[in-house]
Amino acid sequence: MFSLVRSLVRHKRLLKELVVRDLKARYVGSAMGFFWSVIYPFIMLFVYMLVFRVFLNMRWDDKASPKDVAVWMLAGIVVWAAFSETVTRSTNSLVENSNLIQKVVFPSEVLPVSLTISSLINMMIGVPIVMLGVAWFAYVKGNDVEVASLLAGQEILPEPEARDLALGWSLVALPLLIVLQGVFTLGLGYFLSAFNLLLRDTYHLVGVGVVVWMFSTPIFYPPYLVAEKDGGRYVWMLAINPMHWLIASYREVLVFGAWPDPGLLGRFGLVALVVLLLGATFFRSQKDRFPDLL
Amino acid sequence: MVEATVHERRDERSTGVGGSAIVAKGLGKAYELYAKPVHRLWDMLLPGGKKRCREFWAVRNVYLDVPQGSTVGIIGENGAGKSTLLKLLNGITKPTEGEVRVNGRLASLLELGAGFHPEFSGRDNIYLNCSILGMAEDEIEARFESIVAFSELGEFIERPVKTYSSGMYVRLGFSVASSVDPDIFLIDEALSVGDEHFKGKCINRLNDLREQGRTIVFVSHDMGAVKTMCQHVVLMDKGEVVEQGSAEKVADEYLKRAHARGNERLSALAREASEYPRWGSGEMEVTEVRLLDAAGRPGHVFETGDPFTLRMRYRAHAACRRPVFGVGFYRSDGTYVNGSNHAWRDRPIELCDVAAGEEGEVELRFESLPLLSGRYYLTTFLYDHAKAAPTAIDHREHALTFEVLDPRNHQHGLLYLPTLWTVRRGRPGDAGELLESRS
Repeated sequence: MFSLVRSLVRHKRLLKELVVRDLKARYVGSAMGFFWSVIYPFIMLFVYMLVFRVFLNMRWDDKASPKDVAVWMLAGIVVWAAFSETVTRSTNSLVENSNLIQKVVFPSEVLPVSLTISSLINMMIGVPIVMLGVAWFAYVKGNDVEVASLLAGQEILPEPEARDLALGWSLVALPLLIVLQGVFTLGLGYFLSAFNLLLRDTYHLVGVGVVVWMFSTPIFYPPYLVAEKDGGRYVWMLAINPMHWLIASYREVLVFGAWPDPGLLGRFGLVALVVLLLGATFFRSQKDRFPDLL
Repeated sequence: MVEATVHERRDERSTGVGGSAIVAKGLGKAYELYAKPVHRLWDMLLPGGKKRCREFWAVRNVYLDVPQGSTVGIIGENGAGKSTLLKLLNGITKPTEGEVRVNGRLASLLELGAGFHPEFSGRDNIYLNCSILGMAEDEIEARFESIVAFSELGEFIERPVKTYSSGMYVRLGFSVASSVDPDIFLIDEALSVGDEHFKGKCINRLNDLREQGRTIVFVSHDMGAVKTMCQHVVLMDKGEVVEQGSAEKVADEYLKRAHARGNERLSALAREASEYPRWGSGEMEVTEVRLLDAAGRPGHVFETGDPFTLRMRYRAHAACRRPVFGVGFYRSDGTYVNGSNHAWRDRPIELCDVAAGEEGEVELRFESLPLLSGRYYLTTFLYDHAKAAPTAIDHREHALTFEVLDPRNHQHGLLYLPTLWTVRRGRPGDAGELLESRS
């Protein structure tokens, strides 16, 4: 673990090089440039609104207006997109760079880190969009009196309360959330990238797993729906899902201008650290074999 | 492609001449070959018990001591473990047993395009590679121009390397690797890809490095190339070092092995010769084609300058008025080297009125085989010159394949030509001097 950190410090220039390169690769050469990181969440949002609200005519409750739901969803989508992209790409990162790992003494531990950093930076382009949305609906248009209920991020909300969209001082907690997200993502990335060399099916499993995980996380539906369904039969799904804790915390900060639930965030931080520790240890233990496994 | 070994090692950079640049003790590398990838996972999850893999030792029992400032060649045929050894020396793979010690910064040039990111431009790859080496930004900036200049890539430096030709890959790779100021430089055959002009530049650069007291390890299967570069040669076979020492000493062993191996492989090739076309009217038949060495023993591997005899046996199935035997020599790439027959000569051998049932031998002999090292094949012609135009009786395309080795490696190209070199020196206040060398 410490040798990993030392190696990252030693190769910080290379790390920077890789991050810059990755960000460039995202935008240079594509006609829309960095607008893609804005467009992607909006398209996702549009599709889900169309399917669930228009075609299936689903309502969470009668008070929440589509605009509030949209902003609330967008926050989840932006965070999830960064997370899922990093996990998928990290899993394949060693295979993709086999040319470097096999032929050069290459510090492979920088690869998942560079992908994580690059996607978090990318996410930071999407986050202000959410904040703009909140600001627009909350302050320019003015909060409707009873809108924006039910969307709060608490793990279990027996009695949904009406809440207003807001931006507040709690935004200072944003860097902490981003760092913790990075820690968690990186831990998974380390484990999966190394495991993918032992079992190449991992990459495909992760592709499927990420979709399953996305739908079992309250991104497009409010957590209380899960909590209340069939007398709480599915509450455990929220209780074991760190990404729910993270996204709920993000929403408190970004959408409602409130401080995240310390219990929830603390739990996420703990899990993130443990995952990083385990993932990095596993990565380190297999690292010497990488050139032979590729 | 470029790499500085683990950086802690750099601190031990020993400055005194006479120390060891690379020491390998009992080095061995085993690869685990699994029939199914999942088995590797089972082995990991359930330790103990019988392993599901087969071990393959790519390199074993290698002891090396490369003195500082020396140029060492490693030769061996494909699969002898040269490249694995190189990977062990520069630390890309970890040895299964034994250890390697390296003193000094190490750069290596393995295979074509190794260490490049195909999507990045040449410029980005230079930065990437230098970053991997742990070089600081200003250090890279300082060398960037000279790297680009040496590579002669021009504006291609801005294009993604995936658009590069193999020669351009090598040029960029060599430029970067040799510009990082390595104490030890490992090169794996890669140079053979470049054109002659660039190869010359590379050799100059290598000589510069050598004169600065840097250590060079050069891997090749080409004995000639190794001999021109290296005083000390290591011969590998089947993962083990079978001989090491002065170039001359090892070259002998190498030739011996090449003879044995070549004869084995080429006689197998010769058996397949029937796959090549053979045509003609068939009154006569070439029943056997053999190559004989100085002692009259049949073989498939010869050395430049040795006596060389080609012997054909024939049998006539029907009467034939004026058959003529001929032979064509081709290099393996199809270059037509030479062709002759016994009729088109100043003093022709006239072979007339061959009767049915007749048998005989035809020989073509070189007192001194002029072909230089390489793989050659020959085609035998048996044509009837009694017709208006010679017509084929028995034409055997690609009748035999043989290999020529040139241990002395004095001349390059296709043919050894007798040469007379003279140098006339006119020193002031002196009668001068005439130097001559004839071969």
